[in-house]
Amino acid sequence: MIRLLLIELYKIFRRPRTYISFGVVTATSLIFQLAMKAGGREFFEFGMQDISEQFNIQGNIINGYLVAYLILQSLLIQIPLLVALVAGDALAGEANGGTLRLILTRPVSRTRLVMIKFMASSIYTIMLIVWLAVMALFLSLLVFGDGDMINLKSETFILLLKHDVMWRYACAFGFACLAMTTIASLSMLLSAFADNSIGPIIATMGIVVVFTILSNLELPLFTAINPYLFTSHMVGWKGFFDADVPYRAIGKSAMVLFLYTSGFLAATILYFNKKDITS
Amino acid sequence: MIRVLAFVFTLFLLPFTTMASDAQGLYLTLRSKVLTVKDYTADVRVLIDVSYMQIPTLEGMLYYKAPDKVKMVRKDGISMLPRKNISLTLGSLIPSGGVTVLDAGTATIKGHNLRILKVIPDDDKTGIVLTRIWVDEGELLAYRTETTTRDEGTVVLDLEYGSYARYALPDKVSITMDVKEYKLPKGATMDYSEAPGTPKKPVAAGGKNEKGRIDITYLSYKVNKGLSDSIFADKDK
Repeated sequence: MIRLLLIELYKIFRRPRTYISFGVVTATSLIFQLAMKAGGREFFEFGMQDISEQFNIQGNIINGYLVAYLILQSLLIQIPLLVALVAGDALAGEANGGTLRLILTRPVSRTRLVMIKFMASSIYTIMLIVWLAVMALFLSLLVFGDGDMINLKSETFILLLKHDVMWRYACAFGFACLAMTTIASLSMLLSAFADNSIGPIIATMGIVVVFTILSNLELPLFTAINPYLFTSHMVGWKGFFDADVPYRAIGKSAMVLFLYTSGFLAATILYFNKKDITS
Repeated sequence: MIRVLAFVFTLFLLPFTTMASDAQGLYLTLRSKVLTVKDYTADVRVLIDVSYMQIPTLEGMLYYKAPDKVKMVRKDGISMLPRKNISLTLGSLIPSGGVTVLDAGTATIKGHNLRILKVIPDDDKTGIVLTRIWVDEGELLAYRTETTTRDEGTVVLDLEYGSYARYALPDKVSITMDVKEYKLPKGATMDYSEAPGTPKKPVAAGGKNEKGRIDITYLSYKVNKGLSDSIFADKDK
């Protein structure tokens, strides 16, 4: 099992496209950090206008913690694409390359093959999130220093003391791994249906974009389905940056994401076991 | 007859003019006591209670220099204080320059028998329209002020005194003030909803302003030691 997993990981990290994701995270973080260094205070004060009119806020506002949060927020849509780049290729890529039938002639069950590919995709996803933590958080702390963190929500202004922030990031990145694993499992499912990897990648992005829009539209028509969309729960990492962390709600979101992941994976296994492999 | 009428009229007005004069004297004495503090440095603990703010208790150093310079500094941290015109020092809420002082009766607050003074500034350059001050005549201390400003609503200060009462410096100040509502588009913040799909609570009718409260506890003071203006420069901008 471990040997097969290592082979899958070798295949993932042998492909140049895998490093596109790490390059995108690096470039986005650096561009954002440069922009925040140049005019971050003005940018942030625009968002704080209502507060600044009434309160005089002083200190290192544009610090590493805040910049990291803004980077994570801006990468909310992009990271699923980067995960889909690899997970969407897991089965469809083999089918496209004509190697899927060859693999299945080996004494490896289809279920085990799907599980190993899912595990390899999950490890890649976790490594991407760790790299995001290095670039967005640790590099920002190096460049901007630390300090108390301001979190602007749509109707709430939150200030977190600097000694109370790092553990929140650890939990947030942990939650992000879970959320992105859900994306990986969705991509795997779509990958099982396709014979080339472009389709699953685009389909994954399409679903994420449409569901994200639905999650953020506060129209009565959509509010009924919001609790059932995984995209409504993917932003659960933000809950760790509330003054009083809503553990119950985050736990519920984590459970929803876990159920979605299990559901996607089970569906992939079911379909893949019955699929007629012709390539 | 005219002399009798003039006598009766004078007799009727005399208490009022005497009271106004007493009130004016009391106010000026209080003001001169407050103004003996030219500057101070204080270790403070600030608690901000505004409905849309989630802020822990902030500990830091508060610098004050007469007449209206105030700055809070927290080592490597962010400090928040109300804007200048609704300042947290008694000195800046008691109108300076020419004033008209009226006696507005008496009241009891926390066991202190207090005289209420209404102070109307002769000019409105400070932005203060009217100040009501609850003064303990014996101690010569203001226990409450209610200042109506031109642009920033009404600010109420409740003061508690301890070992620095001789300077009219409080151990604790509770500021109650009008705060405007705060809102950003949800599409920009992409908030995490604890219960997705739950309808939002309706906004309370009756205007966009609400009351906020800020408690400042002064732990220690260093008074009139001399402070440089450079301390008050905003280095972060």
